Amino acid sequence: MIDAQKTIVVTGIGVASPYGAGLARLRAGLLAGECRLKPAAELYPGFQGMVAQVRDLPPVGDGHRYSRTDRLAMAAARDAVVEYSIPSSLLRPSGIVMASTVAGLTEIDPGIAQGPAAWYRDGGLERAGSYPVSRVAASVGEHLGVQGPACAVSVACASGAMAIALGANLLLDGAAPMILAGGSDALCPFTLSGFNSLQALDPELCRPFDQERKGLNLGEGAAVLVLETLRHANERGARVLAVLRGWAMTNDASHPTAPRKDGLGLACCIGRAMEMAECGVDEIGYVNAHGTGTPLNDIAETHAYERAFEGRRGPIPVSSTKSYFGHCLGAAGALEAAITIVAMEAGALFPTLRLTTPIESERVELLHGAVRREALPMAMSVSAGFGGSNAALVFGRLQS
Amino acid sequence: MSRLPIISGIGSVTPYGPLAGLVSCDALQPSAITAWETAEPRRAFVVEPFRAASIVPGVKTRRLDRLSTWALVASSLALRDAGVNLAQVDRSRVAVFFATGLGCVELTEAFYQSASANGWAGTDPITFPETLTNSPASHVALFHDLRGPNLTISSKCFAAESALLQAASLLRHGQAQLAIVLAGDTLTRAVYEWYETAGLLSSTCFGDDSSPEGFVPAEGLVAMVLEPAGRQAARAYAALGAGRWATGGDARKGAEELFGETRANFVFCAGNGAPCDSTPELCLARGLGGDAATVYPAQPVAAGMGEAGGLLHLLLALSKQPGAGEALLVAESAHCGYAALRLEIF
Repeated sequence: MIDAQKTIVVTGIGVASPYGAGLARLRAGLLAGECRLKPAAELYPGFQGMVAQVRDLPPVGDGHRYSRTDRLAMAAARDAVVEYSIPSSLLRPSGIVMASTVAGLTEIDPGIAQGPAAWYRDGGLERAGSYPVSRVAASVGEHLGVQGPACAVSVACASGAMAIALGANLLLDGAAPMILAGGSDALCPFTLSGFNSLQALDPELCRPFDQERKGLNLGEGAAVLVLETLRHANERGARVLAVLRGWAMTNDASHPTAPRKDGLGLACCIGRAMEMAECGVDEIGYVNAHGTGTPLNDIAETHAYERAFEGRRGPIPVSSTKSYFGHCLGAAGALEAAITIVAMEAGALFPTLRLTTPIESERVELLHGAVRREALPMAMSVSAGFGGSNAALVFGRLQS
Repeated sequence: MSRLPIISGIGSVTPYGPLAGLVSCDALQPSAITAWETAEPRRAFVVEPFRAASIVPGVKTRRLDRLSTWALVASSLALRDAGVNLAQVDRSRVAVFFATGLGCVELTEAFYQSASANGWAGTDPITFPETLTNSPASHVALFHDLRGPNLTISSKCFAAESALLQAASLLRHGQAQLAIVLAGDTLTRAVYEWYETAGLLSSTCFGDDSSPEGFVPAEGLVAMVLEPAGRQAARAYAALGAGRWATGGDARKGAEELFGETRANFVFCAGNGAPCDSTPELCLARGLGGDAATVYPAQPVAAGMGEAGGLLHLLLALSKQPGAGEALLVAESAHCGYAALRLEIF
């Protein structure tokens, strides 16, 4: 028997992705196997590698200066609210949990290092106002008139999934009737330079889970999930897109940047999410992986799936949709949660693009080739990040 | 309130110094800034340099942002204060919950300096990961081998209060068996000059106490160990009750709902950036406490820490009035909304 007050459901999804605005464009792009990655030098002269940009981001004309990350977040949140007809009376008491790692770094440039006071006087003051990561959540709140609890999550590349987990916790606590939870991050020279300095970027198109993988490509985007309890959704007659059946967060505690090689921390996280979801290893039909394409991440992640799904009747189907539009950092977990829900709704397991020589594993089926069509009652989205953080979200369909 | 999560250990690195447990409530005076060159004397509440390894043997802090160093020191002091033997704890169930306003700005500035000097192609690979806002929390996890949820959040004005409430939620839902909550920020030249250019600083920062407008920036970090009610803690400073934070709405109504018919003996303010004797939250605190309650205004050293200052406000309140019983933390700002947290102070 489902406890409707303790069951968290997704009743809306808003997206700003390199495919354009809205979930429908993301869905169509993925089903078509369309890669949105382009040479970084087209946007940032002198930079190598590939990136995916959100084009035609609408301006916000309310007189405030917003960072590009803020604007992506606002566009995704607005999309969710409009597309799913959420009234302002319901938004007002709602809460916001938005993830970001880049936040307002998009507005700062190296000139600040040469003389902060002069930089501020020369126009930097207004730009610096969007620097704090809390601005991402605050901007969405101000934009939509939300007055409930608001916070920003910044846990590197696991941020987006963790925002959804914290949003679910807030609902269980009765902190708000509805939570807008998601993540947003924009491309900027700071992160391109940082990952380049770490030699983590693939100069060509990334190849997650391939034996010949060389690194990641960066992308940008935002996704916002509308979360509420099943009881609340039923009371207002909202259509349930998915049930968030389980979530978990752990830390590897092994290295500042590298994942634990044996995947133990991530496997523990996956196991706890399945425990909360009260599901067995055979019930998860698909995992949307973190799958960055870096040599260290993908092998550690494969080991994690081997551990977590031990005893499964067949290999666990896994893919990385970062091969379509890159790694969107703090937004990745939220975008991939949205993709996982799309996969369930469409009955479509998205392959990893350009995967020709998969990492060898008997217990993990690294999807490649064409989209596989099959019914998907339950699926998982997995994220990990610098600092050893892991997050796993289990989504299911609402049983009638 | 005896079945609620308790604060069992405190560690801090603040202008009071690196300390375990409660702090002196003596009013601090801001000190002259010496960490960077200023054309005219400038003052702030700053953390004096100290050697981390002399307090936490074996800790390695070379090339870390000061915020990460302070997180390592304060978390170690808090665990020591709580008497927690990590060898007897399931470390995969220990959460780290860090709140900050600006994150690792020191090394972010250093990264920009390397970009300025060498171009974007010549930035430092060791510095880059340390610029991430979650670095302090991940260093705490790494140093203590804590493998539970590891979160870093920020919330306009109320990051610390939000972290405290959400960490308590992790305990309540069984997602952690013990949590270390941290909140802090550092002052750097770029941050200070940001406030100064924006005209936000009190005249006290310039050595002139004549004008109370504005605020005196502060830096520091406070860590608190949270344990669930059923656990046999060696020490208990306070039990955390219900709480909330919101970006709008009626603060008084929200705070009153937490208490119902009960009256707080002790109400303390946790706001930031404004003088203490005229804030809406002080009026709110007086109204909530009634005639019999002691009301403790926001303290400049904690207010100067901005959105991460809530834990220092709480630490100062616990230090000011141990044994206060029913208490209420309240923070309100016209721009940010409000936060309220019910406590029982032992």
